[in-house]
Amino acid sequence: MSYDAVLYIFVFLPVCLAVYQLTPEKSRWKALLIFSLAFHFLLSRGLLLCLIGTSLLTYYTGICLEWLRSEEKLELSGADRTEKRRLKQKYQRRRKRILALGVIILLAILAYLKYYNFFVRSVDLLPGWLSLPLSLEEKQLIMPVGISFYTLQAIGYMADVYWGRISPERDPGRMTLFLSFFPQIMEGPICRYSDTAGTLFKGEPVSYQNLVDGYVRIFWGLFKKKIIADRLAVPVAVIFDNYTEYGGMLIAVGAVAYTIQLYMEFSGCMDIIIGSGRMFGICLPENFRQPFCARSASEFWRRWHITLGTWFKTYIFYPVSMSGIVKRWNQFGRKHLGKYMTQLGVAAAALFPVWVCNGLWHGARWSYIFYGMYYFVLILAGEAVKPLRDKALAAFRIREDAVWLRCVQIARTWVIIFTGELFFRADGLRAGLHMFWSMFEEFGISRLWDGTLFTLGVGRADLAAVAVGCIIVAVVGHMKEKDKNIPQRLAAAPLPVRWGAYYALILAVIIFAAYGDGYQAVDMIYAGF
Amino acid sequence: MKIEIKTIRRCIMFFAILALLLWIGSIWISGQAQHMSEYIQGRSRPYTGIAAEPENSIDMIVLGDSESYTSVSPLEIWQERGYPVYVCGQPGQKVQETYYMLRHALETQSPKVVLMETNLMFRDPGFLGNIRVDMTEFLRYHMPIFRYHNMWKMLLDGSWANDDYKGFAIRSGVKACDREKEASYMKETTETAKIPEAVHTYMEKIIKLCRDNGAELVLVSAPSPKNYNYKKHNAIERYAGEKGLHYIDLNLKAGQLGIDWTKDSYDRGDHLNLSGARKVTSYLGKYIGEKYGMEDRRNDPAYQEWDRLAEKYQAEVARRLAK
Amino acid sequence: MDRILEILRGIDDSIDYEREEALIDGGLLDSFGVITLVAELEEAFDITIEAAEMTPANFNSAGAIREMVERLQEN
Repeated sequence: MSYDAVLYIFVFLPVCLAVYQLTPEKSRWKALLIFSLAFHFLLSRGLLLCLIGTSLLTYYTGICLEWLRSEEKLELSGADRTEKRRLKQKYQRRRKRILALGVIILLAILAYLKYYNFFVRSVDLLPGWLSLPLSLEEKQLIMPVGISFYTLQAIGYMADVYWGRISPERDPGRMTLFLSFFPQIMEGPICRYSDTAGTLFKGEPVSYQNLVDGYVRIFWGLFKKKIIADRLAVPVAVIFDNYTEYGGMLIAVGAVAYTIQLYMEFSGCMDIIIGSGRMFGICLPENFRQPFCARSASEFWRRWHITLGTWFKTYIFYPVSMSGIVKRWNQFGRKHLGKYMTQLGVAAAALFPVWVCNGLWHGARWSYIFYGMYYFVLILAGEAVKPLRDKALAAFRIREDAVWLRCVQIARTWVIIFTGELFFRADGLRAGLHMFWSMFEEFGISRLWDGTLFTLGVGRADLAAVAVGCIIVAVVGHMKEKDKNIPQRLAAAPLPVRWGAYYALILAVIIFAAYGDGYQAVDMIYAGF
Repeated sequence: MKIEIKTIRRCIMFFAILALLLWIGSIWISGQAQHMSEYIQGRSRPYTGIAAEPENSIDMIVLGDSESYTSVSPLEIWQERGYPVYVCGQPGQKVQETYYMLRHALETQSPKVVLMETNLMFRDPGFLGNIRVDMTEFLRYHMPIFRYHNMWKMLLDGSWANDDYKGFAIRSGVKACDREKEASYMKETTETAKIPEAVHTYMEKIIKLCRDNGAELVLVSAPSPKNYNYKKHNAIERYAGEKGLHYIDLNLKAGQLGIDWTKDSYDRGDHLNLSGARKVTSYLGKYIGEKYGMEDRRNDPAYQEWDRLAEKYQAEVARRLAK
Repeated sequence: MDRILEILRGIDDSIDYEREEALIDGGLLDSFGVITLVAELEEAFDITIEAAEMTPANFNSAGAIREMVERLQEN
């Protein structure tokens, strides 16, 4: 049952809403928990135990860290100054050990399920003389749905408790709900405890406004996913699965089409997810902010899959940039290398693990690692040329916010994004490189209008639906970027206008969505990561 | 409390208007679809096809999945026996679809016999799958806009008419069936296969629908080594006995029909090809014609169209067999 | 306080630091700016800023930064 399925939107969600509303306020979160576990059970059966195990581990790690903190306080109260310092260090060490234990167990489960086969294959690739005294065989491993998402949430929670930013959850049931809340279990957003805990356990009654807002958001998501993404899935699959038969322009078309598909699909599902949360009065964090308005690769990543980027920034980038080694480098560099090189070194040291993890998180494939490194290099290069660029802009008296400059930067960023997604979607790194180079051999721009496009499994009507859909999404995105809140404006509009807009949206989805004769449902892409 | 009542009234209004919009759209679009039924492609084809037939002109309706429309050829029966048959089979038809297809057909037709191919009685999309199909088929039946919503595409893609031989698919290719498989697939046993719960539920509805409309429901298993075995035979045999239905298992009569698995199979024992279908059709046409006293309408001027279509069909068959 | 403002201006001189209240939440300082800032603060005030201090609340305004620095100096 995926989120765009009739069953989820018109059966599961309404039933859950009804049960939630009928439950007394104090135990409403329990209703959510039961539905979340049921949802997860429907998707991954026995692997539900894996989720519950993770929840308990996370819960007890939090409790243990808290207990150490109170013990420390107790001992500190009677100690003198030097004794205090010693005690603090002692407890710091203990807490660190507990945190490390929790994180390592979680990562070990994730790594085993996700990367074991990759590891085995990579070992096989080693030259004979290096062969390790291991005999490993690939295994059929089934991953619990959403493990990549809830594991990150669990680690984030542990770290937040360790740093003393939040006090730990005192109820294992609530802990489980935080990790397993059914709208977000398959595709995120990756929430921090402080993001959702407040509204998740509050049991706010279902309200008219929340219901309307929620369902409008859901239909907007369906619009993106069913009208645009599911249609593009066909030509994208044709090009990427038979990449040796295509070259030049068609590869470029494939890369652009896949980028649009991925965006419409992922952000569309996000709309459905956030809309679902909204109906229960739960505010899930946004995952996209008009990524195609970004002016640089690093800005793109602050607008695309935001919660993943934030997670990496909080739990990898900052801790690494503040670790002992980096600090020592900092002191050394300032004395011997100058500020510029030192800062660049720090940035590289902190960025590298972020992008390795970003690549690996998507799955154990060399092409994903390449994808991570691609952005690592681009973002670091962007940082490296920044002083030079600033000087150049000043020398030629170009204003930072000049419209033409903005357009050039956005266009450049688009090329970066499309190229990145080409490697991301390609079936392996070798295929990606093959496709990339083929674009420089014979471009053949005429393929755009000579009818070749219609051989990719889509007709005129499908392409028209995609084009019109994209224009509507772009206009709405543009208005959002200009800070015009459309749902809010709509809510304030007179009733005929408001209802007219709702009916238009609903009917557009019913008539133009890719379902029924000649179409097949397309799985959610990010649920596979 | 006051606000709540106002809100509820408003919600009801909203959905009433939405339902009205969908209903009007549905009436309009199903009118259009019936009007241009020969242009409708895919699964909805037989659905519009049967509705486009003149009222009360069909004496036998055939239901089922792909086994049905690759086994029974209405125009052969017309030429040999003279009673009009229409095949409402769809690829992978689910029992829910079968039910609504029949219900739809019975709105304009009053056939004497409803012949149902039994392969779909073992199709089970699972618990969630069944809830989904229950819902979507209900909606598609009552709000045809959900069935025909893709018709707007014809405006841009253009439309082309397909030949329709009253629901039959001419497939002339040959891929022989595996000899071992063919020899052993109907080995006798006392075990029975399980008929899924959803099939039981909808079969009840189908039986009732036939009874209320005075049609005889007949179950038939088309010869298919890939899809049938003796366990399934036993299950349907028992089911038919309980419900007092007539059941014909052609898998046990393959020899009598003269099915030659090296020549009559389209795809290694899954579906019959044209030559296999002619053998099955000839047998069924005679058997049902005699058993249920089907009337010969070949001299009825209202059916002149059938003669013309049959000629076209025979020409196409000759062309295909010559290849 | 002046020292903090000076450091901030060294990172990006187009921002009015005396009034700005959302350096992080408003996306004015990116993560590279933040790590530069941390390194400079550590050197200038002889403090150690731990990863635990890396919250938007601690960096959103010059005032917040000063509060954090003072708190860390006391320890």
